[in-house]
Amino acid sequence: MAVTNQSLPANYQLLNYRIDRQISRGGFSIVYRAYDETGAPVAIKEYLPSSLVLRTEGDIVRASSAENLTSFRYGMKCFFEEGRALAKINHPNVVRVLNFFRANETVYMVMRYERGRTLQQQIQMRQDQMSERFVRHVFMHLLNGLREVHTHKLLHLDIKPANIYLRTDGTPVLLDFGAARQTLTNTRAKLAPMYTPGFAAPEQYRDPDRLGPWTDVYGAGASMFACLAAFAPQAADARVQEDHLVSAKKIWAGQYSDNILEVIDWCLRLDPLERPQSVFALQKAIRDIPTKKRKLSFLGNVKKLLFTEIGA
Amino acid sequence: MRFTIFQESRRGSRKVNQDRIAYTYGRDTLLLVICDGMGGHAGGEIAAQICARLFIERFQQEAKPVLRNPLKFLQDTMQRAHAALGSYANQFSMLETPRTTCVAVVVQAGHAYWAHVGDSRFYLFRQGGLIAQTKDHSKVQYLVDQGLIGAHEVVTHPDRNKIFSCLGGLVEPIVDLSKRTPLRNGDVMVLCTDGLWSVMPQNEMATWLTSTPILKTAPQMMREAEKRGGPEGDNLSTIVVRWGADLATEQASTATVTESLGLGEFETAIEKTVTLTDRAGANRDLTDDEIERAIQEIQSTIQKYRR
Repeated sequence: MAVTNQSLPANYQLLNYRIDRQISRGGFSIVYRAYDETGAPVAIKEYLPSSLVLRTEGDIVRASSAENLTSFRYGMKCFFEEGRALAKINHPNVVRVLNFFRANETVYMVMRYERGRTLQQQIQMRQDQMSERFVRHVFMHLLNGLREVHTHKLLHLDIKPANIYLRTDGTPVLLDFGAARQTLTNTRAKLAPMYTPGFAAPEQYRDPDRLGPWTDVYGAGASMFACLAAFAPQAADARVQEDHLVSAKKIWAGQYSDNILEVIDWCLRLDPLERPQSVFALQKAIRDIPTKKRKLSFLGNVKKLLFTEIGA
Repeated sequence: MRFTIFQESRRGSRKVNQDRIAYTYGRDTLLLVICDGMGGHAGGEIAAQICARLFIERFQQEAKPVLRNPLKFLQDTMQRAHAALGSYANQFSMLETPRTTCVAVVVQAGHAYWAHVGDSRFYLFRQGGLIAQTKDHSKVQYLVDQGLIGAHEVVTHPDRNKIFSCLGGLVEPIVDLSKRTPLRNGDVMVLCTDGLWSVMPQNEMATWLTSTPILKTAPQMMREAEKRGGPEGDNLSTIVVRWGADLATEQASTATVTESLGLGEFETAIEKTVTLTDRAGANRDLTDDEIERAIQEIQSTIQKYRR
């Protein structure tokens, strides 16, 4: 079927928001830029699973068949999960939800509008090797956000460069909690799993009972790997069959510090128990930066030298 | 609890089966339900399916481990099913709400409770005699009550299919509730749609079901009824339960013993032929109420965490 869903037109008035334009479109949703009544920009995500619903004109969303209505409603649960997950978190490195409402027979999530680009775009656009300083900067901040997420007993479960947004000032924001799960209240039937090959941990494919902070740690490690390589590591399900992943330490020896390469390899261990068990453990490992220390002390020495020369 | 249960739904000579039958039981409580969907297109079938499923789901949510108030449960669930059908029609902008009859029975602590809307029936037989039955919400039943026609004319009257209360109708359903009725060993409970009762008088039914093992005779009765329905025969459905640790008539191995179930465990059987709303398998439909609640919950959380 080549029929695609119409996005809402520019200047469409959605409650107190005026739609400006479509920013992005995925299999389950469309994201718009819009302005609220004060003229401030917001991002609005519209639940619109393209395989289930049809909107060839106008604004009302209809299930394309009676059978699809059930699935449509069911998918709405995932959308609610995302809203629930994000509503609780108020952290500079996690996308902020401002409002959540129902209209046009579907549901909408209003988020703070951020200017910048995704880490994915950054990787694709870069001319030369991404600097270690940049990678460290992005991930130290990002991991602060992820730690906050885990503190709320939530797992993101889809950490990847496309879901990491870089503001124009360079600080990262964790986006798209569509796969997020409330780890403690997971007694209901599991929602259909969602994962991105290369960034999803092996337990996401086969062993949903073993999901934990270490699962997001794998995604973070894979994202760091992608920053260096400009491609994703081998998919975890294939790795379980036959592991072709070459360790970061082998590929980039000499170009990046041993510390960051070892951390990446550690995050990408197939056995969940062999990875850093918490974001904090991972942050601690990244903070131990022998190379930077060496550099600093070298610079310090130069400074000292200069100062002594001048002073002398 | 110990009982023997039989359920069957036959299409008759209709193209689709718009009847739905289901039962579920835990260690100390049992629910039986039959719905007969009405109307054109697939509407009737959807209505019966929604209603039967809602009963099963609510029962399993509320029976922890038994229902606190079986009659209230029956009454509430009928109302909710009615509301659910309305919102379903809204969702699809259907011109007509899908409609269904419904009869449901709860057995708990040795007592039976039942409720019905429309002309699907419940009979309670004891020692070959009828001791209780529901009274149809139908035009012909009204005429009988007024003394305008005789009881024997009910199955032949031209308006025999007209009912004045159903789930999903324009007006609020009239729900008839039974008294709390003690059961004795050997009692036979029968739920059935009009496709069965219109061709099988209750005295014949009693003969079929009360003196011999029901698992043998109930299927025979259904075959016979379908035959009588002929080329115009309606869908016909029944659930038959013989209550109690049985006498010699029922073989021990065919009886259901619920003591082996853990607390909070349920055994369920839903008879379904064609399913239109069941695509997502065990995934439950999200109702309008649930959507509203989810949104409110998220909004209040946003407020709470707003700085």
